[in-house]
Parts: sequence; structure tokens; C-alpha cells
Amino acid sequence: MDATLVGQGLLSGFLFGGVYSLMAVGLTLIFGVMRVVNFAHGDMMVWGMYMAWLLSVRAGIDPYVGFLVCAAGLFVLGFVIQRGLVERIVDAPHEMQILLMLGVALVLENAALVAFGPDPARVRSPVAQGTIWLGPIFVDVARLLTFALAMVLTAALWLFLTRTDLGRSMRAAADNPYGARVIGTDVRTVYAAAFGVGAACVGAAGALVSPILPFQPTSGLGLSVTSFNIVIIGGMGSLPGAFVAGILVSVAESMGAVFLSPSMKELVSFGLLIAILLFRPAGLFGKTAA
Amino acid sequence: MKLLALLAVAVLVGLPWVVGSYLVTVMIFIFFYAYLGQAWNIVGGYAGQLSAGHAAFVGIGGYAAALLSARAGLSPWLGMWIGGALAAALGAVIGYLGFRFGLRGFYFVLLTVAFAEICRVVALNVDAVGGALGLYITFTGDPRQFQFQDNRVYYYIALVLMLAATALVWAIERHRFGAYLTAIRQDESACEALGVDTLRVKMLAMILSSFLTGIGGTFYAFYLFSLQPNAVFGIPLSVEIVIRPIVGGAGTVMGPLLGSFILSPLAEISRTYFAQGGWTGLHLIVYGVLLIAVVLFLPQGAYPALRRLVPRRPA
Amino acid sequence: MTNRTSRGTDRRTFLKVTGAAAGASALVGFPAVLRAQAPAFKIGVVHPVTGPLAEPGQACRLGAQMAADAINAAGGIKALNGAKLELIFGDTQTKPDVGRTEAERVVTQGAQMLMGSFDSGSTAAMVPVAQQRRVPFLVDIAAADPITANVAKSVRDGQQKVQYVYRNFPTGSSFGRKAVQYFGEVFKEAGVSPKRVVLMYCNDLFGQNNAKGFQAAHAAAKPSWEIVDVIPWPEPPQDLSTEVSRAKAAKPDVIAPITRPASAQLLLPEIRKQRLDIMGIVGPGSPGLYEAGQLAVLKEDLEYVMASTPWANFKNPRTQKVAEDYLKRSGGKTFDTNSGYSYDGMMLIADILERARSTDADTIVESIKKTNYGSGLMQYAGPIVFDEIGDNPNAVTTMIQVLGQKAVAVWPKDAAVQKFVFPRPKR
Repeated sequence: MDATLVGQGLLSGFLFGGVYSLMAVGLTLIFGVMRVVNFAHGDMMVWGMYMAWLLSVRAGIDPYVGFLVCAAGLFVLGFVIQRGLVERIVDAPHEMQILLMLGVALVLENAALVAFGPDPARVRSPVAQGTIWLGPIFVDVARLLTFALAMVLTAALWLFLTRTDLGRSMRAAADNPYGARVIGTDVRTVYAAAFGVGAACVGAAGALVSPILPFQPTSGLGLSVTSFNIVIIGGMGSLPGAFVAGILVSVAESMGAVFLSPSMKELVSFGLLIAILLFRPAGLFGKTAA
Repeated sequence: MKLLALLAVAVLVGLPWVVGSYLVTVMIFIFFYAYLGQAWNIVGGYAGQLSAGHAAFVGIGGYAAALLSARAGLSPWLGMWIGGALAAALGAVIGYLGFRFGLRGFYFVLLTVAFAEICRVVALNVDAVGGALGLYITFTGDPRQFQFQDNRVYYYIALVLMLAATALVWAIERHRFGAYLTAIRQDESACEALGVDTLRVKMLAMILSSFLTGIGGTFYAFYLFSLQPNAVFGIPLSVEIVIRPIVGGAGTVMGPLLGSFILSPLAEISRTYFAQGGWTGLHLIVYGVLLIAVVLFLPQGAYPALRRLVPRRPA
Repeated sequence: MTNRTSRGTDRRTFLKVTGAAAGASALVGFPAVLRAQAPAFKIGVVHPVTGPLAEPGQACRLGAQMAADAINAAGGIKALNGAKLELIFGDTQTKPDVGRTEAERVVTQGAQMLMGSFDSGSTAAMVPVAQQRRVPFLVDIAAADPITANVAKSVRDGQQKVQYVYRNFPTGSSFGRKAVQYFGEVFKEAGVSPKRVVLMYCNDLFGQNNAKGFQAAHAAAKPSWEIVDVIPWPEPPQDLSTEVSRAKAAKPDVIAPITRPASAQLLLPEIRKQRLDIMGIVGPGSPGLYEAGQLAVLKEDLEYVMASTPWANFKNPRTQKVAEDYLKRSGGKTFDTNSGYSYDGMMLIADILERARSTDADTIVESIKKTNYGSGLMQYAGPIVFDEIGDNPNAVTTMIQVLGQKAVAVWPKDAAVQKFVFPRPKR
């Protein structure tokens, strides 16, 4: 086995892990605070990508700047979904929540199909074209940038949850909703804000990833499945978990592509998932009270 | 109530002789998905163990029967039982791993999805089972090969499957086994405290459910004449299986049937009337909105809501 | 609303009677305006217009519609008294069970022939409907060999009386043979002898089918170049950097990719970024390497890329005219394989009907078997004919290349619009 190939695989996998982490962070936040499994996660991300595409094509705004707009847009969408839909079934059986978000996913995916057509799109960013060579191994600038941004975003979110009032209310409402109500927290608004923030992360992730990943309206499902894998492995509700797991899964897949057949690299991440589910279902960083 | 049921069955039996072949095909899929939903209902509805990977059992059942027919010349009438048994074996593995390790709720869901995806990726990559090309069954119209020239025979087979599965679930509900399942769904720890071997009960439900689903896989293979890994192991099929009992009422006898009778025509109608010109995709938006509406306004499912509307008559 | 009967005999008898009445009145010399207008001939056109294959599916539907419009504008099917073609559309959503239901639906709504359906899974599910309901089915696009081969076999073995399924598109095996042939011819013409070819492909039905065909054809032809590594990726992929690194490690002279539009958008820039030192990128045949949408996104990364793909014959002025119309009606899309084969399929159906002079299914099948149609807009190796399996052996691929940001035919010589460039210039 070529040492350069293995080295390159490790590095590429590591950097691409930043992309995975970004995808997973919003999902884990929503689950961590509200115990809602957002099956529309991938489709929301696709909308973030299309928003970035619109900004790039119609207004010439680079996605590495425009992602803030996408985050804001998705925040509104998330807030509305929570307030308008999810809130009403908070006491309903678990299955209903899944079905609701599936319905939302269907609507989002096909609205994108009607709005943008079925062709794959990609956002061209001049920033994202460069490569840095370290001997025989190269570093993709776009992925490096995304990795850095993933770290920054995760850190920012962490600070938000631990240092701001709203963030602390979210965590309180997550741990003990009755208690939070008792001390006067407007739990409904907190939940809606949490969903909104989670959606904003997803929107930002979509925008930041759009120069790297080609996307179509039907890309949502694959992104959802990947994100769920990562979040479970890292631990539902854990931000550092999402970050680390994203890198772990990406490196594992990359090694799978190097040593096995690349078309089977998904087996590696599913194998990891099953192992985690069996031996440490709370995930690598999760709290054990599942 | 019983009279109503008999009347409904009589209507269904006579239907293919008065309506055209297209409607017969629509009904076949209504029955078939109701059958799969009913099989799922045993472990997903009654036992409350949400599985979103039941497509794996359809796929295994279908592939087994198709391969045995193509390579060993074994009639699918026999192959279906082997397919069902293999599906049950996988169900036992998933069930054991899930239940023994205490996976509940969303974690169990993801375990089932992971296994279905693994099956899909393996089927996609192993040439011996057709790879991405899948398996194609030659159309002969030979009844010994589970093929029929007349669409109506498939109709009756699907109807029998649906009714048999429903009868089974009805019987389970009245048996102690059914009581255990419901109790486990509502409070598993309490059941254990009372001395019920919850692992054994759940395993039994899972094996039964996957066995029946595997048999459905054979019908699928020999009705559509082709098996493709993405279609038959994929998440969209699992979603179709799960949606009907949930909308109709998970954990009720009539739930999967009601769900199928609501959703399949809805999908047909929205596809026929909304999928025009530049608006392709509009019909799926309508489908999604309908799903959301059902969830918001009928969260227990359609069947319990209907029961509340009909005042109980004295026996 | 009268229930248009689904029992074929009644409908055919009705049409025969109407046709006879129209013919009789024509003999009597009624003025043209009073002659009974023949009822429209209905064709079920089923493609995946939503779902992952929505893009080619919508192209197919538009191609079919344009052809039908052209035929109707020219007076319909003259042998059936000017009967207009009426299309009943269906959407398979890329799902086999939906494909089958849609086929049933259009047949019940009166379709007398079927055309479709691009993806082999749905097409295979529609085959039993065609055989059961005795509706001739022209497959405009779908490469899996068993679609026609299985039906032919059951007719040979006596289990079915008539084969109703015919295909006017290259099969998976012919894709491979042509690609290997073109590779050798292009290398020879260019005066170079690359030795190491790396095959990379998307691991879906189309990719696997083509990859196998390519490898089989290579083993049979034993040319001077070797396939040194075979690298499949899951479709659609999220990241191809490791796959390209692996290709690079195999020290290739030529990369042979089989892609889909999404994966091509990842693969080609990656090949550039990792600075693969190769003579060229020559695809054995796949979408994603030539469409207008792809060119808009990939720009210079597509320059000099070659692909062996079914292609329109742009030397034919009729093709150019249709391509212009298509550009307008589709809002800027290129007239390509998908729209082209559906267009030709519809024109072929018109020709079949003209020669059949009847709407009876078995008569139509006889007419299909005798087809010898030379007015296709696509690149063929001869007139459209059907062999014993029901395929068109003259449906072939053409080697195209992106030159000056335009995809043009470059090989074989008689199809070439421009001279090819190989090896590609060094960056």
C-alpha cells in the first residue's frame, strides 16, 4: 500500500470531517434541547445550499460571506416550523413526531424541485479553488476553510449555550421543562428559538458546504442519514460529540475507500454506528441518561 | 360490526369483475402495503418497537425467492417460505442486538435503518446477487412460477395476504401475547418488574413480523418482475411500510388497512391531477401537506378518531 | 363519462368499424370536411419526471411531445386517416411499483402503445403490463439487457405467444464494445499508445452495467492498454478526494470515468486539484460530461473531456432545427441523448403505424419487426431495425469531446463534426 495514498487519505478524511461536523451540529442541538428528531434535517440543509446558490448567482455574494444570510433565513423557517407545527404534537406519541417531520421533508424537497428544477447545482467560489502542496500531499483550501469554520461555529454555539441567558434557558428547559416553567421561563419561545438556532446552524452548514458538495433537491435524504449517523456516534445533544464524530466518521470512510472498495465506504460508517449503538448508545460524548 | 366487515369483504371479492385493470392494480398495491403495514404493526404498533428498516425483510424475502427460482428452479410457492425464514433470521439478529442491549425509541429506529442500509449496500456491490443491475424475472405467465397472465389473480392473492395478516393480528390482540405486547409498549419496566420475560416476547414479535414481511417480498418480486437494491432495501420503501399503520392507527387491528385505503388513493390522485408540466413535484408537496395535516389533527391515527365518532352500540 | 372499456377487443372492434365507415364514406366521395375524423391514437408516455432522475425524465417527456406535435402538424398518421397522436403522460417517480401502476393507468385510459421509461427498474416493471394487456411497448431509453432478452426468451420457450417489447437504444453490452473499439481507434489515430487506464464509475445500475460491459469488452478485445485499477464510488457521492488519490497512485495515462451529473461535478475538479498527469479523460459513456448545465458549472474542467455516448447526428440539418426548437421550448437546454431518443422513438412509432395501417396490437408488432427506418435524428450505424431479441443493433454510441466549451462529435470520422484533441494539452 502506497504510503502517500494512506497519508493523503488520512488528511483528506480529516479535513472533510469538518463538513460532516457542520452538518451534524444543528441536528444535535435540536435533539439535545427538545428531544425532537428532525427528519427534515437534510432537506433544510439543501434549502440552505440553494439560498447560498441564489445569493452567489443573483447577487454575486460569496458563500463564505453569504452564509450568515442563509443562517438567518433558516432561523425563521425553523422558528415557524416549531411554533406552527412541532409544538402542537409535543405530547403525541413518538411516531407522530417522526411522521410530521417526514411530511415537512417531503414538502421542502419538492418545493425545491418546483422552484429550482431537478438539475444538480454547485456554487463556485473563487476562494475554494486553491490547493496547498506539502510535498506529495496536498491540502484542499476549501475543505481547510470549512474545517476552520466548523470549529469556530461549534465554539460559538458552545459559548451561546453556556454564557448567554437564552442559551442557558434552553439548557434548563431541556433538562427540566417543568422546572423551567415554574421559574417563569417562556418555554414555548425558548423551544422555538432552539429549533430556530438549530435550523440556522443547518442553513449555515449548507451554505458553507455548497462550494464543495454538488446538490439537487433530492440530496436531502442522504444528508439526513449521514448526519444521524454522526450525531448518534458522537452522542445526541453533545456539541463536542458532533464535532469529533464528524471527523471520526470521515476518516473511517476515507480509510475504507483506501483499503476496501470506495463504493462500500458507507458500510464502514454503518458498522461504526452499530458498534456504538450496542456498546455505548449514549455516544462517545453523550450523557448516559438516554 | 361483524356484518359490516363481511359486507366489505364481499365487495372486495366482487370488485375486480366490475372495475378496470388500472383500478385493480391500485387495489393490489393498497392490499399489499396494508399487508406489509400489518406485519410491521405486530412489532411496531403493538410492541411499540419502531422499526424503520423493514424494507430489509422485503428485500431478503424477494431476493431469496428470486434467486432460488432463477438459479435452482425452485418454485416461488416454496421459495417464499425460505425467503420468509431468512428474513426472520435477520429479524432475530436485529431484535436480539437491539433488545438485549436495551435500545429504545430512536436508538432502535436507527439500528434498524443501519441494518437495512447495510443490506442495500451489500446487495448493490455483490455481483452474485445481481449488483446494481438487480434481478430480472422472465415473464412467463406460468402459475407454477407464481406468475399469472391475469391481473385479477394477483388481486386475490394480495387480498388473501391482507386478510390473513389482519386475522392474525386480531387473534394476537385477544391472546395473552397481545396483552404482553401492549403492556410492554406502555411501560416496559413495569412489565419486567411483574416477571414478564420481555426479551422473549419482543423477540417473538420481531421474528413474526419479519417473517411475514419476507413473504411479502416474494409477492413484490414476482409482481414487479424486477428487484433493485435501492428500491427494495431503501429507506423510501421502509417509509411507505411504516406510514400506513401510523396514519391509520398503530397498535390497532384496522389501522394499517385504514391507512393504506387513505394514503394509496391519495398518492394516486395527487400524482394524476397535480403532476403537470412545469409543476412536477407539486403532487408530492400535496402528499406532504396531507401527512402533516393528519399528524396535527389525528395524532392517534385515523382509526381511533373514527371509533370516537361512531357511538358504541350495546352488544 | 363513458367507461372506456379496458377490454382490448371491444376497443379495437370499435376503431375498425369507425375506420371502415370513414373509408366507405371516402369512397363515396364525400367532401373532405364531412369525412369522419379518425379518433386519436393514444400513446402512453411514461418517464421519471420527479425523483432523482427528474432531469433526464423531463427531457424525455419534452422530446416525445415535440415529436408528436410535429407529426400532428404534418397531418397525423395518414394510414389511419389523419389520426392525431395523443400522448397520455405518466410519472414513474423512479420507482418500479409506481412505473407499473402508471403503465396500467395509461393503458386503462386508452393507450394503445407505450413508450418509456429511462430507468431500467421501472421499465422492467412495465414489461409485464405490456405482455399481459397486449400493448406494444417501445423502450426509448433503458440499457439493461434483460428487459428485452427475457421476453424474447419466454417467446422462444413457448411461454408467451408474442413479444410486445422492443427497444431502440444501445444495450449495456453494446456500450462497452463500442467504447473499447473507439478507445483503440482514437489512440491509433492520435499516434500514441497509452498503457494504463483507470476505470472509475458511479456504483448505480447504469454505472455498474456499463463498467461491467467495458471490462468484458476489454477482456475480449485484448488491446494494448490495461485497466490497472477499478474504482467505484457510492452514488451520489459526497467526497471523491480519496478515490482520486487512489487513481493517482495507480499512475494512469488515461482516466475512464462513468459518472452522473452530480458526481462529475465532484470528480473533474478533484482530478485537476490533485494534479493528475494524464493524457486525457475518456469516458466509456455516461451523462454528466457534456450537458449545458454541467458546462455552466464545470467550465474549463470539462474542456478536452471525451465520452462515448449515444448522441444526436448534428450533421443532419433536421436535427439542428429540432435542437433549436428544443432550446426554445425547454428554456435553454441542449437537445441531447435523452430528449433525442424519445423524439426518435415517437417518430419511429409514427412510421410503425403508417406501415401497420391498423391499430390492432399484433399487426403493429408485425410492423415493428419489419422496421427499416432511416430518418432518425440520432447517430446510428444504419437504419433502425430490430433483431430477434427486440433490440436495435444499429443503435450505437459516438465519441464526443468538449472543445471550446461545446460538446461535439469527434469519432468515428463520418460522424465527426470536428477533429479530436488527444492527448490533451499540458496545463
